[in-house]
Amino acid sequence: MAHQAHAYHMVDPSPWPLTGAVAALLMTSGLAIWFHFHSTTLMGLGMALLLLTMYQWWRDIIREGTFQGHHTPPVQKGLRYGMILFITSEVFFFLGFFWAFYHSSLAPTPELGGCWPPTGITPLDPFEVPLLNTAVLLASGVTVTWAHHSIMEGERKQAIQSLALTILLGFYFTFLQALEYYEAPFTIADGVYGSTFFVATGFHGLHVIIGSMFLAICLLRQIQYHFTSEHHFGFEAAAWYWHFVDVVWLFLYISIYWWGS
Amino acid sequence: MSVSPAALVARRVFAAASHSSHEGGARTWKILTFVLALPGVGVCMANAYMKMQAHSHEQPEFVPFPHLRIRTKKFPWGDGNHSLFHNSHTNPLPDGFEGSHH
Repeated sequence: MAHQAHAYHMVDPSPWPLTGAVAALLMTSGLAIWFHFHSTTLMGLGMALLLLTMYQWWRDIIREGTFQGHHTPPVQKGLRYGMILFITSEVFFFLGFFWAFYHSSLAPTPELGGCWPPTGITPLDPFEVPLLNTAVLLASGVTVTWAHHSIMEGERKQAIQSLALTILLGFYFTFLQALEYYEAPFTIADGVYGSTFFVATGFHGLHVIIGSMFLAICLLRQIQYHFTSEHHFGFEAAAWYWHFVDVVWLFLYISIYWWGS
Repeated sequence: MSVSPAALVARRVFAAASHSSHEGGARTWKILTFVLALPGVGVCMANAYMKMQAHSHEQPEFVPFPHLRIRTKKFPWGDGNHSLFHNSHTNPLPDGFEGSHH
């Protein structure tokens, strides 16, 4: 049997990067087809392929790390760098939307009435549901930290409880935001106010959903004994992502909900 | 901008939290969860509920501003004139609220 004389992971050939790329192509072109020709087939195909790719690629990573022992300390270090770089790229993604918001709101044009919020826009009261949403996400930051310490101390039941509580808080946030979206007196089509509000908070909400899914996978893995008190990087990555989502919300709340009202 | 007493309390609670939280194991964070985080959420829930009850339920007067309710391109669903989270009670169409009031 051949052995490697190094601590790194030479990954076996895999079809998932290619299927992921094809999914990205089908979803983007599918979106254009939907907008211009009113058919959702291509986009639907792309979404299905994306879901299959994500499931199988991440399943393979769990197999390689948890069951086959390929995630040695240097490999784990690389995974840490990877997650940090990914989150950094997401920070820049949101920075763009904050740039757009400040560009339009710091110097409101005459077409808007020369003021911000524009004439005719009734902004949401920042001290009603948006404040509750802030409390919910901050609380979920506390519970995910409880979960991390529980994992590190080998407290299996507490880890499961705190992780489940974190996910419930995430779902509660999403539920409250959906309600706000429905009740809002303005829509995405209400000029640059509507555009900046719904695109920035909308992408944030998408990241909350993604983060909740990531944490839910971690909960399933914790229940199935994948994590040890020393080695649980999948959970740490999910927790980092979750804190990032929380911080983005704080910036959104201060800028768009509070200052922007 | 009026701030209810409950919201003021919530803000003070969170200001205090940034000074009092410290590293120290699962037990510490469990205590923080049940003494600070979840009660904070509860206070904000009560505050939001009370403020919502104090709202007037009137539909605002409709003014057909040209800078709002943009329809440069139809939405790719339904009749193309309704946003994704359209609420006929709070969202007027470009020519006014749908149907009769309420």
